[in-house]
Amino acid sequence: MLELGILLIKVIFVLNLALGLASFCTWLERKGSALIQDRVGANRAGAFVESDRWYLKPALPFVRALGWLGVINTLLCDSLKGLWKEDFVPEGASKFLHALAPVIAVLPIMLAFAVLPLAPDFTVAGHTVHPQVAPIDAGILFVLAMGSVAVYGVAIAGWTGNNKFSLLGALRAAAQMISYELPMGLVFVALIVVYGTLDVYTMVEEQQKLLWGFIPAWGIVMQPVGFVVLLLAGMAETKRGPFDLPEAESELVAGYFTEYSGMKFLLFWLGEFAEIALFAVLLALLFFGGWDIPFVELPKGVWWASLIGHAVLMAKVVFFCVLQIVIRWTLPRFRYDQLMNLGWKLLLPISLVNLAITAILKVVL
Amino acid sequence: MTFMGFVFSAIALAAALGVVFNRNPLYSAFSLIVQLLAMAGLYSVLGAHFLAVTQVVVYAGAIMVLVLFVLMLLNLKSESGRKLGIVKPLVALGVGFSVVATVFPAVVAQFKDISLMTLQENLWKSEGGVKAIGQEIYGRYIVQFELSSLVLLIGIVGAIMLSKRKRIVIGPREGGLGGKQ
Repeated sequence: MLELGILLIKVIFVLNLALGLASFCTWLERKGSALIQDRVGANRAGAFVESDRWYLKPALPFVRALGWLGVINTLLCDSLKGLWKEDFVPEGASKFLHALAPVIAVLPIMLAFAVLPLAPDFTVAGHTVHPQVAPIDAGILFVLAMGSVAVYGVAIAGWTGNNKFSLLGALRAAAQMISYELPMGLVFVALIVVYGTLDVYTMVEEQQKLLWGFIPAWGIVMQPVGFVVLLLAGMAETKRGPFDLPEAESELVAGYFTEYSGMKFLLFWLGEFAEIALFAVLLALLFFGGWDIPFVELPKGVWWASLIGHAVLMAKVVFFCVLQIVIRWTLPRFRYDQLMNLGWKLLLPISLVNLAITAILKVVL
Repeated sequence: MTFMGFVFSAIALAAALGVVFNRNPLYSAFSLIVQLLAMAGLYSVLGAHFLAVTQVVVYAGAIMVLVLFVLMLLNLKSESGRKLGIVKPLVALGVGFSVVATVFPAVVAQFKDISLMTLQENLWKSEGGVKAIGQEIYGRYIVQFELSSLVLLIGIVGAIMLSKRKRIVIGPREGGLGGKQ
């Protein structure tokens, strides 16, 4: 019973964390893009809120600050607007598949968070808590599997759209996601070779060590090429940034979700931002030591050390979220042949050579 | 565990029937995806996490996406109006039955002495089967494994040759836009 309760708390925590990070990315995208494009961005809704109720008075400055920062506009107003809008289903499309597509776009991304550890183990009242919902043995491969299932959300969405733009967007997305899954998987294999395990928790524990006594054994030190390849492939997987061919506004209206409106449309965005967050967590865990602070030894199994570790991890995650959004708003879009060339002719050979060198080094050293 | 096994088996069977009986090829493909995912669920109930994840990555995640890709590009219509006749279903039934009749006794003979529980326990112990599968493939079955990878390589080379030949026949246009394409 206790086990079940702890598991339930873990599930709720991880789900809320994923949604929270996705909301944070949404806000960051809105405000960050405004900053980058020299605009002001959302800053009105809630910024001038007034109330005479005495019990609301203390909260008012806080709400006004949130409104001025655009948080209320981007997270509250826009999602409410999405819920109230007319839910439009194109003629001739299967209603069931039309409703299913946004769900498939979000669900696998949320599930992928289940195998990621979010803090070091800690002991409370003689009970060791492992902050990872599903410590399955396939570990990191599960993330890859969920990423490949998420393709179906896009493919079905494009098909039920029942028009050429949607279909073209879906085909582009499917081709792109399959192409970039290969280098991504090969980087994962190289990491598995380096750390000798599939479990993400053990990988992070391995990164706490020091190389030759003074360099932190982070993934970026062990696999610098792998990091670059994974960064590029991951950005292509999220279908954003310079890789947003599937929804290229200037060519395909809105790509695969052209025919979506209201909350279903927002669900696609939620899936996209959750994917950014998932990818940021993955980079922080695999390449930047997770909850590791270099040269600082935190006591093991104490709850406050886990809390600090979680905060450190989240700081790294926020950094990678910001990085991805800055890249997305800085670089122009690729042409489609450039995208395919980058995937098949550059990233794939590089990741293959990287894997071979890693394997040789692992045997020699 | 056993209950979840039954649930996944039921889903897999229903989806397999859906593959056969759907008249729209795209819905058949979707049913096949559900079937493959249900099989992955069955594997993970048995504790073979690695096999389950591989099933999802390779079959559900890559091969079926390509199948969908082709079906969407061809834009096939539903086949509800087509008459099947009497010969085709009989041939299909005969082929299907003979395949099952050959494979089923072999599977039963293979697992006759192993109960499902011991299989499950062994799999849970050996890190979801990663170690066991690796040692079997790269130890006892190394020749067969390398031969099958050779077959795949031949397939890749063949695919590239087929797509190249078409381009040579059409030939690059002299000058003008896209001359180098």
